[in-house]
Amino acid sequence: MRDANGSSNEKLLIDIGSTYFKVSTKESIEQHFRDFNKQILDDLMHKCSDTVQRFESNDIHICSSANGGLSTLIIGLTHSYSLKYATNIAYNAGINVIESIIFQDIEDYSIPSDLIDVVIIVGGIDSNGGQFDERLDNYIAKLNYSNIVYVGNGPDAMAIASRVDKLLVLPNVIDDRLHIVETHLKEYLTNLYQQDIEGKEDIKDLYKITGNQIYSTPYVVNKSLPEINATFAVTDPFILLDIGGATTDVHYSKDLVRDNIVTEQGHDRIVFKKLGVFKSRESLIFTAEQNEFAYELLMHLKVTESIYKENSDRATKVIMQLAIFLVLCEMSHYRAANVTLKLLAMNSIVFTGGITKVLNVADIEDVVAFFYRKILNSDHKPACVVDTNYDIWTIGAKEYALCQ
Amino acid sequence: MKVVTGVIGNDIHVVANRLMDLSLNARGYEVFNLGVNTYLEEFFDAVVETGAEILLISSLNGEAEGWGREVKLLKAKYKTLDNLTMMIGGNLTVGSGNAEDIVPRYKNYGFDLVCHQVDLNTGLDMLENYIQEHKQA
Ligand code: B12
Repeated sequence: MRDANGSSNEKLLIDIGSTYFKVSTKESIEQHFRDFNKQILDDLMHKCSDTVQRFESNDIHICSSANGGLSTLIIGLTHSYSLKYATNIAYNAGINVIESIIFQDIEDYSIPSDLIDVVIIVGGIDSNGGQFDERLDNYIAKLNYSNIVYVGNGPDAMAIASRVDKLLVLPNVIDDRLHIVETHLKEYLTNLYQQDIEGKEDIKDLYKITGNQIYSTPYVVNKSLPEINATFAVTDPFILLDIGGATTDVHYSKDLVRDNIVTEQGHDRIVFKKLGVFKSRESLIFTAEQNEFAYELLMHLKVTESIYKENSDRATKVIMQLAIFLVLCEMSHYRAANVTLKLLAMNSIVFTGGITKVLNVADIEDVVAFFYRKILNSDHKPACVVDTNYDIWTIGAKEYALCQ
Repeated sequence: MKVVTGVIGNDIHVVANRLMDLSLNARGYEVFNLGVNTYLEEFFDAVVETGAEILLISSLNGEAEGWGREVKLLKAKYKTLDNLTMMIGGNLTVGSGNAEDIVPRYKNYGFDLVCHQVDLNTGLDMLENYIQEHKQA
């Protein structure tokens, strides 16, 4: 393999998650549970120092998903355009949307108490100014946020900037034909996410061993999707579920959405911040308790709700099966969250992340079939592909390593 | 003037929509064409985002009959659409029907101009007359 300088050094790829870290060389992939009493770097060197020391810092590539991403609140004019466009861009940049607000009704919304990483204001084509009045200022004044960006119609930008402190103004995400313009907001959000990862003290530490930029894992995974057919028997359209310790990431083919958004990218991404099997286990169980079918799934798996309190291999397995079920529910019409995918048109589901080490294909197929039967009333059976060897991540990480 | 147009519902008859786009442009309108397969909410949302004065909906397979009933209800949720001129045309019923029954029905749904099986240019002339009258009023 040759890099940009023409050298053909072997690369070491490292992925830091909230629960595990993985270290991959040409010959092998090691995976370790993180020791939370240690800094990441110490933990890594403790467990894999022989491997790490074999490599020059320029040949070590690291990505991380240990922080679960940033949050945003979006204020827009309509569901079909401004909010949808901004939401789509935010997801693709790895940002979680915690609230979407239709401006005309802004006074009816409550104020989220959590700190919001970035507030996005959007709406109107450039020839349609005069959309945002002082109701916007009043609402924003009550919010607790770190960054605020305006990507709406041109004429309103100046006025809002003069009233809202530290407002960053970027070009409109809606063009004069009512189409989406992703570039500027996406770049801004991606950088914010990137800075957030790099800003974490223990991640910063890792620059002691790498001379390359540390990226977010979802990006690396997204990179690999166009190449996925080369390694797995995957037929389009497909989704890829990365069920991790803190969050679950879903990457899906654009063909699965009925949408008025036309973008070049073939795969979109959505993050479920509170669905994970270790760090977010509590909130996953909470979500399960709100889902009337989760109980039936437990019965089907021949366990009771007391399994939630157990700390056994059996419990971990059930929690992971539950996670698959809940994520599929979130993307179906049953929950109609943010994106509804055409799950009956889906031909493959690829599973990656920690669950591939715990569940086998039969365990997974069992839940998927249960979901289709119960929620979609269908015998549809997408092929379940399990990425036990983390090939997806390796392909993506190599793509990145090669680009650098 | 800005016009939002498109074909409502799951209707995929695209030919009239293309002609509509061309004719409106030729007549000097600024056209936002949402194409076939457009839901009612998307029409209203597009009007809000663009600030269009006119909404011009086509229905060829007759689906509009079903959507028509929801127009008033949905429009009432928007706070900025009171001055919108609403027009609909194409085949406005499933199977056969006559304009004498169809036109009042759609006016009752909230449309200002209703063109059941009226050709495009006649319909657009009607629109222009309507705009003229309302300017004077
Ligand atoms: C071509 C065609 C198709 C093609 C469409 C290809 C495409 N992507 O466009 C295909 C084969 C896919 C198709 C499918 C179907 N079709 Co078809 N189709 C036709 C056909 C033969 C021609 C339509 C056309 O393009 N005409 C040319 C354009 C320029 O004329 P127009 O559409 O009539 O529009 C004129 C006016 O209505 C007016 N106009 C249109 N909109 C507006 C709006 C305003 C404001 C104004 C003022 C004027 C205006 O302007 C145009 C020019 O004057 C018509 C029959 C016919 N001869 O009209 C049936 C017809 C429209 N189809 C019909 C049906 C039922 C279907 C299907 C349901 C059939 C089926 N059972 O599967 C499906 C529906 C698919 C769907 N989801 O919508 C029926 C609708 C009947 C009804 N409303 O009661 C028709 C009328 C045939 C019939 N007599 O039964 N169809």
